[in-house]
Amino acid sequence: MALLSSPFAKKTNSVTQMMLWVVAATLPGLFVLMYFFGIGVLVNLIIACSTALFAEALILKLRNRPVLPILWDGSAFVTAWLLALALPPLLPWWMTVLGTAFAIVFAKHVYGGLGNNIFNPAMVGYVLLLISFPLEMTTWLPPQSLAENPVGVVDAISIILSGSASDEATVNMLKQGVDGYTMATPLDHIKTELAQGYRIPEAEASPIINGLSGVGWQWVNLAFLAGGLLLMFKKIIGWQIPIALLLGMGVISLPLFFVNSDHYLFPMFHGFAGATMLGAFFIATDPVTASTTIKGRWIFGLGIGIITVLIRTFGGYPDAIAFAVLLMNMAVPMIDYYTKPRTYGHNKRPTKDSKATRGGSDAQ
Amino acid sequence: MERSSPTPKSRASEIPIYEIPGGIHPEEHKLRSSQPEIKRLPLASEFIINLKGQAGNRSLPIVEVGDTVLKGQVIAECDGIFSAYQHAPTSGEVVAIEKRTIAHPSGLDDLCIVIKADGEDRWCELTPTHSLDDMDREAVLAQIFEKGVVGLGGASFPSHIKLKQHEGIHTLIINAAECEPYITCDDKLMQEHAKEVLLGAEIISKLYQDIDIVIGIEDNKPQAIDAIQQAREALKLSNIKLGVVPTKYPSGGEKQLIQLLTGKEVPHGKLPADLGLVMHNVGTCYAIQQALNEGKPLVERLVTLTGDSCNTPGNYWVPFGTPVNHLVQATKSETPKRLIMGGPMMGYQLPSADVGIVKATNCIIMAADGELGLDQTALPCIRCGACMDACPASLLPQQLFWHAQADEFDKAEEYDLFDCIECGACAYVCPSHIPLVQHYRYAKSTIRNKRVEKIKAEKARERYEARQERLERVKREKAERHRKAAEARKKAAQEAGKKDEKKAAVQAALARVQAKKKAQQAEGSDNSEPSSDKDNSDKNNSEGNN
Repeated sequence: MALLSSPFAKKTNSVTQMMLWVVAATLPGLFVLMYFFGIGVLVNLIIACSTALFAEALILKLRNRPVLPILWDGSAFVTAWLLALALPPLLPWWMTVLGTAFAIVFAKHVYGGLGNNIFNPAMVGYVLLLISFPLEMTTWLPPQSLAENPVGVVDAISIILSGSASDEATVNMLKQGVDGYTMATPLDHIKTELAQGYRIPEAEASPIINGLSGVGWQWVNLAFLAGGLLLMFKKIIGWQIPIALLLGMGVISLPLFFVNSDHYLFPMFHGFAGATMLGAFFIATDPVTASTTIKGRWIFGLGIGIITVLIRTFGGYPDAIAFAVLLMNMAVPMIDYYTKPRTYGHNKRPTKDSKATRGGSDAQ
Repeated sequence: MERSSPTPKSRASEIPIYEIPGGIHPEEHKLRSSQPEIKRLPLASEFIINLKGQAGNRSLPIVEVGDTVLKGQVIAECDGIFSAYQHAPTSGEVVAIEKRTIAHPSGLDDLCIVIKADGEDRWCELTPTHSLDDMDREAVLAQIFEKGVVGLGGASFPSHIKLKQHEGIHTLIINAAECEPYITCDDKLMQEHAKEVLLGAEIISKLYQDIDIVIGIEDNKPQAIDAIQQAREALKLSNIKLGVVPTKYPSGGEKQLIQLLTGKEVPHGKLPADLGLVMHNVGTCYAIQQALNEGKPLVERLVTLTGDSCNTPGNYWVPFGTPVNHLVQATKSETPKRLIMGGPMMGYQLPSADVGIVKATNCIIMAADGELGLDQTALPCIRCGACMDACPASLLPQQLFWHAQADEFDKAEEYDLFDCIECGACAYVCPSHIPLVQHYRYAKSTIRNKRVEKIKAEKARERYEARQERLERVKREKAERHRKAAEARKKAAQEAGKKDEKKAAVQAALARVQAKKKAQQAEGSDNSEPSSDKDNSDKNNSEGNN
């Protein structure tokens, strides 16, 4: 549109730039993931991103939208990128394709495309896979240092694409850790142990647990934290949601921990386990589906933090960022409505005033 | 209303400075026009004076085609109080009073007085005021009014209206913030005419009692700050304080500057005067000083001519009505890609270069190709909130856009659409390149139109109902008349009927009498009984008929 009206000056920022910054900020996390869990992470990324771009292009064509300019905004790419980062490294390729395509077609374009979707597309794709294939989705490779059979590049690609490794080693063999059992994430491990009647200190004796959370996982989370802080300082994301999310986890996990430290995890563990940092800085901050007001961002972040810890502690799934994000996505329109800032020169929000008068007339 | 706390960091400010929400830091582009001295361009040959050259009503021309006028002579009177006098910008002949394209984004025509300059630029007789102390408030106001002074900050609101209220005013704020990029006319005016500006401020302050004067200026104008300080010392004016605010757009917005300097917000639906404040631009102060001390009516102003296409950027005294074309030629500029009147943030693209400059014209940007590059496709809003962070009115531009785009105007109003000052900060930061302000203007004008239409419809309904009632009444009256007429007729008929009865009775009686007479005559002649019987039966019959 040729602009005939002011302003004629424009900041040199764009959606594409923002998206590229998001991708760039995940790189430390990606490298750490690859270091600990092998090349499968990268293979997932490639599969997911190609699927997303193809699905986006196809559906834009079907909807008679300009394909290249919208593809260029980078949003589909970022959706796939973030989804792939959350997937287990040896997930069969078709699951990745299914999840990504579902995210783009259903979570995004059925609502009207970028800017109109209510739910975080990456998390919709993730949850679809999680509830359809719970076993595959919670089975992670052991960190390479703990693996009985470290996975080579060829093996990883072969497993993802065909389901079995080149030298006919079974997937389960590759997925085994030092104790010979198929590996799960530290959160999953703790959950299973608790279910079997162990106490947390006993569960934590496992070789998979060390330091802040678990082998590899603390570094993954630290790397995503670093990238997230970069985004925050570059003002690509607001700081309220990540901080509120972590705070939300703290306010719920700390009292639980003090009540019974045998049964409830130390807040720090929550903070550096699973997808916490990825979720806090990259997933929950998706501007389209997050609350848009400042106060709303606080509520949104706190909500995700609290729900995550509640599901991790009392629910059926080891990690819960995806569910928590989707649940809070649902609440966004209401949060936004009740957190309008006070406009210059106004005492109260006009809606409150009008509501007051409405209430008054009702009383009559 | 006080919610922000003062920040002591502002350089050299003599009063505490508060904070405003939002704001942006666009590239300034001010240096090229702020370096050269103020100059004057050769006179244009033709001047197009727009009669709608101020906020409020169109002025009414009092000259005719063929009249010769002198510079400063009144050529149009104000139409009501919310209007302004207009004066000839130079000496010459009125060659036309007709519709010409005016400086308005719509490119609409409006009535203009066209003066062909005689090149002599001869003033009419000027009557400076020598002693202000002898004049009462009304007389000063009248002078300001008659000299055609309007606010020169950009809105060209007639100054006498702003100055009228004098109860409870305790502070005069001089708006010298000039926060728009490119524009430097106020900066240069202060640098070169600081004394006149301060004297103008003094004249305004004399209209009130015990009033403080605060000059609100952005810290990117150190030379102007120095010039003001020196002039203040030279003139020994101790009641003037400098409020140096950090450079940030839109610090020069009236409400924003008030918040910066006082920490107070003008309550919704109120005026600065309700807070005891009155604000005037530096250019207006200068114009008021010229009007009273020199007796000069407002016939020209300082205009920043700038932009990549402008060969000799700078600030020039430009008489009103000078065609923009002439300015482009006189600055030996290349053909600009776009002509922007005003700043890049709030100005508008001129539909034609043949328009005359008006009292509100503070800047003409002769933009080269790609200078104000804007032809980016708008992408969907991703609700990133950058606009919200930039909004100085604490609005939610992303929600306003959402509702404006969907034509949900009542929702947009609920989000305080009309508190938007159209500063453009939101559109400036938008990563999706959405022309947000355009959407708000569209929503605002649609809502205004709807209001007008609603009022019209209401009036039409009232008219219709009145007509219906009138018709009903006429019908009723007619029916009543008919009823009465019918009654009257009936009565008349009855009366007529009664008369017939009497007549018949009389006739019958007469007939009887005659019959008796006949009978008596017959008795008298042949005395026969049967004939009298026959007469009796006749009489009975006739009675029965009656």
